Amino acid sequence: MDLLSNLALGFSVAASLENLLFCLIGVILGTLIGVLPGIGATATIAMLLPITFQLEPVSSLIMLAGIYYGAQYGGSTTAILINMPGESSSAVTALDGYQMARRGKAGTALAVAALGSFFAGTVATLLVALFAPPLTAVALQFGAAEYFSLMVLGLVCAVALAHGSFLKALAMVVLGLLLGLAGTDIYTGAPRFTLGLPQLADGFNFVALAVGVFGISEILRNLEHGQGDREVLGQNLGGLFPSRADLRRMVAPMIRGTALGSALGILPGGGAVLAAFGSYTIEKRLSKTPEEFGKGAIEGVAGPESANNAGAQTSFIPLLTLGIPANPVMALMVGAMIIQGIVPGPNVATEQPDLFWGIIASMWIGNLMLIVLNLPLIGIWVRLLKVPYHVLFPIIIAFSSIGVYSVKGNVFDLYAVAAFGLLGYVFLKLRCEPAPLLLGFVLGPLLEENLRRAMILGRGDPTVFLTRPISAGLLVLTLAVIAVMLLPQVRRKREEVFVEED
Amino acid sequence: MAPLSRIGSLAAAATLLASTALAQGYPERQITMVVPFAAGGPTDTVGRLVAERMSEQLGQQILIENVGGAGGTLGAAQVAGAEPDGYTILLHHIGMATSETLYRELPYETTTAFAPIGLVTEVPMTIVARADFEPADIASFVAYVKENADTITMANAGIGSASHLCGMLFMQATESPIVTVPYRGAGPAMTELVGGQIDIMCDQTTNTTEQIKGGTVKAYAVTAPERLEILPDLPTTAESGLPGVEVTVWHGLYAPAGTPPEAVERLSAALQSALADPGIAEQLAELGTAPSPAEDATPAALEARLTEELARWKPIIEEAGVYAD
Amino acid sequence: MRDRSFDPTDIAAGVVFIVLGLAFGLSSLGLEIGTALRMGPGYAPLVLAMVLTLLGVLILLSGLRSRRGEPIGRLAWRGMAVILPAPVLFGLTVRGLGFVPAIFLASLLASMASPRMKPWQALALALAVTVFSTLVFSYALGLPFRRFGPWLPI
Repeated sequence: MDLLSNLALGFSVAASLENLLFCLIGVILGTLIGVLPGIGATATIAMLLPITFQLEPVSSLIMLAGIYYGAQYGGSTTAILINMPGESSSAVTALDGYQMARRGKAGTALAVAALGSFFAGTVATLLVALFAPPLTAVALQFGAAEYFSLMVLGLVCAVALAHGSFLKALAMVVLGLLLGLAGTDIYTGAPRFTLGLPQLADGFNFVALAVGVFGISEILRNLEHGQGDREVLGQNLGGLFPSRADLRRMVAPMIRGTALGSALGILPGGGAVLAAFGSYTIEKRLSKTPEEFGKGAIEGVAGPESANNAGAQTSFIPLLTLGIPANPVMALMVGAMIIQGIVPGPNVATEQPDLFWGIIASMWIGNLMLIVLNLPLIGIWVRLLKVPYHVLFPIIIAFSSIGVYSVKGNVFDLYAVAAFGLLGYVFLKLRCEPAPLLLGFVLGPLLEENLRRAMILGRGDPTVFLTRPISAGLLVLTLAVIAVMLLPQVRRKREEVFVEED
Repeated sequence: MAPLSRIGSLAAAATLLASTALAQGYPERQITMVVPFAAGGPTDTVGRLVAERMSEQLGQQILIENVGGAGGTLGAAQVAGAEPDGYTILLHHIGMATSETLYRELPYETTTAFAPIGLVTEVPMTIVARADFEPADIASFVAYVKENADTITMANAGIGSASHLCGMLFMQATESPIVTVPYRGAGPAMTELVGGQIDIMCDQTTNTTEQIKGGTVKAYAVTAPERLEILPDLPTTAESGLPGVEVTVWHGLYAPAGTPPEAVERLSAALQSALADPGIAEQLAELGTAPSPAEDATPAALEARLTEELARWKPIIEEAGVYAD
Repeated sequence: MRDRSFDPTDIAAGVVFIVLGLAFGLSSLGLEIGTALRMGPGYAPLVLAMVLTLLGVLILLSGLRSRRGEPIGRLAWRGMAVILPAPVLFGLTVRGLGFVPAIFLASLLASMASPRMKPWQALALALAVTVFSTLVFSYALGLPFRRFGPWLPI
C-alpha cells in the first residue's frame, strides 16, 4: 500500500537520531518559551525561528513544527494557570481551564488539555497523511461567500460563549467586531479608527488585546483587596490527574472537538480560529449541565483544546499540498522553507517525498514527545501556583511586555496593552465577558472583507450567499443554531441558570 | 510621542558627533537590519539570505529586526530616525519609491532621509490566471481581456502592493477597466486564484513560480525585460505587445542619512561580496530572481534607481487616485 | 418588582456601550458608505456602531428595570495606578535606555502594586527578572534588542 510505504519513508526520516533530537529540542524550547505568560505561539515561533536556519532543511522544519506544538502546549498551560492566553484559540481554554485552576483543579485541567491535544494530534496527523489532497480540494471550494457564511455562523456561536447576560455578550461581540475593523481599509486604503496614528495602520495587535483584556484585568481583579493575593489556587491542589469520571466526561468532547478542529483547520484564512470557539459552543449546548460552563467544566477544556490542536495539525495541509500558508505561523514556516532552499508549492509531495512525509511523521512523534514530557511536568507547573501572587504578577507583566514587543518591535503595542488592560478591567467590573469580544475582534475583518469581496465578485447580487451550495448550507446551519437558542424551554433554562448564578 | 522623538533626535545628534570618529574600526558590534515587513515574508527572506553572508564579510553579526506595519513605512521611519552610525540599516523594496506618493503623510522625506547602500535583487512579476482560464497564450489573453473586461476579476495583494501597481499598468496598457479585488497579502489572493474563485493576478515570481510549475495556475507573461531562466517558455510583456507593463520588485539596502561614508562604503563592499557568493545566487534562483551585479550594488546605482522609480510611480498613482492613508 | 432598585453594573455597562457606539459611529461618519456592489469603508462600521448603541440602550433599560441591584464592588486603584503604566514605561524606555534597564524599571514598577512587597524584595525580584530575561531573550534567543541604549553614557 502506498500510504504505508510513504509513512515508512516518513518515519525513517523523522526517527533518525538527529531528527528525533531536533524534534525534542523544538518541543522543549517551544513549551518553555510558550509557557512564559503573554508569549503565545506566534511570538514564540518568531523568536525561535532564526535558531532553525542553521540546520538541514528536514531537521529545520521538524524542529520548527516541534516548536509550534510545544508553544501551543505552553500557551494553553499559561491560559489555564494564570488566565493569560497568548493566542485566540487558547483564550477559549482559559475560560474554563482557569476556573478549574481557581477551584484547585489545575492539575486535572492541564492533564485534560494534554490528553485532548494528544488524541487530536494523533487523529489529525492521520488525516493529513490519508486525505491531504482531497481535503485541499474541499478547502479550495471556499470563496468569499462561503467564508462570510462561516463567519456568520461563528458569530452566532460566539454569543453562546457567555454564561451571563445575552445582551452584554452580544454587545461585546459587536464591540470586538468594531475594534477588529480598525486600521487601513484594504479595499480603499482609507484609515479607520486609527486616531491619526500610523502605528494603527494595521489595526490593533491581537496579542496586546488578549494580554490586556484577559491577563492584566485579571491581575487588577486580584489586587482589589489591597493584598494582591488571590483566593485558593495554591492551597488546595487536589488530585493532579483526572479521575475515572473526569476521563469519561472528556471522551465525547474530545472526539467532537477533534472532528471540528480537523475540518476547520484546513481552511486557509481564518477557519481555524473558529474551531476552538465552535467546539466550546457545541459542548455547552450538548451538556446536561450547561450552568457549569464558565465555572470549570471539564468538557469546556477538553473540547476546545482538542479542536485547537487538531486545527493546528490540519492547517499544515494547505501548506504541504499548495505551498500556501493558512495562518501567520504557517507563513513563518514558508519563510523557513525558502531560506532552506525549498520553495513550497504543489510539487513538494512528489519532488521531495522524504521532506513531505518526514514532516508528517514528525508531527506525530512531536505530539508523543509532548505528552510524555508534559504529563510529568504538570506537577511542576501546578506548584508554580504556590508562588505568592504578589511575586508572580510583576513577572507576568515583564514577560508579557517582552512578548508583545517582540511580535512587531512596535512600542505602540505596549501602550495598547495598558489601554486594553484598563478596558478589560472596566468590563470585568461591569460583568461583561471578554471572550466574545476577542472572537468578534478576530472575525470582524474577515467578516467584512469577505462580505465586500463576495458582493464585488457577485456583481452586487446578494443571492450569491444562497445560490452557492456550501454557503447556503452554512446559513441554514446558522438558522438552526438560532432556532435552538430561541426555543422557549432553552430560554427558560438560560434564565434559571442566570438566577442560580447570583 | 512628539517630545519623546525629540529626545531621541537629540540623542541621535549627540551620537552623530561621536560617530564621526568611528571610521576604521567599523564595525565593532552587531548591526541591526530592519526589515519593514513580517518575518517569513519574501522581503524577510531576501534580508536573511543577504544578512547571513554580509555578516561573514563584516565579521560582525547582522541581526534582522522585523518592524512590520503600514506598508513598510513604520520600519522605514524607524531607520530614518535612527542614529546614523552604521549600526542600523534598512532593507526595503519598491515600496520605498511608491510610499512617497501612496502615503500623503509620510513621517520622513524619502529622498533625503536615507543614505543608499546598494541594490540587492530584483524580483520579476508574472501575469497569471486560474488554471482553467480560457486563453491559451498571451496574445489571445490580451484579446480576451479587452473583450470581457467587465466580467473578469483581478486579485491583488492589497492597496499599493507591487501586484496592485502591476495590475494598474496592465489595465492601462490594455485599456480595460477590470474589476479588482484586493486581498490581505499575496497568500490569500493566491489561494483564491488556485481555487478558481478569481480570474487573474499579477504577482512576484517568489509566490507564483512553484504554482506555475505545478500547473495550479496558468502563466501568460513575465514583467521583466528578459525571459527568466527558471521559466524559459514564458514570454516577456515587452515582446507580447505590452511594453509599458514592466515591474520588478527591486530591493535596496539603506542607512540613515548622515551615516559616515566609510561605513556606507564598507557595507556596500560587503553587500557586493555577499551577492557574488554562488550559494546566494542558487537560493535566489529558486525564487525566480538573481542577485544584483556588483555595479548595481552601489550607492550610486540605488540612488539612481530610487529617483527614477519615484518619478515613474508618482503620476501613475496620482492618476489612479489610490492612497493608503 | 415593587421596590424599584437599580442594577448599577447594567446601567454603567449600558452607558459604556452607548458612549463607545456613538464614538465609533461618529468616527465612521467621515468614511464613504458606498453601494451594495462596492461597499465603502464606512458601511460596516456605521451599521455595527448603531447596533452597539442600540444594545447599550437595551442594557441600560434592563438595568433600570432590574429586580436586584448588584454593586460594582471595590476597585483596584493602586493596581491600576501601578500595573497599567508598567508596560508603558517599558515601551518608553526600551529603545532609549535599552532592553536591560527597561525591563528592570517595568518589573520594579509592577512589583509595587502590592503592599505585601517590601522594597528590598521588589528590588531583588526586578533584578532576577532582568537577569533571566536578558539571558534568555537577548543572549540565548538572540532577539534584536539593544541591551543598553543610546541614552546611556556606556
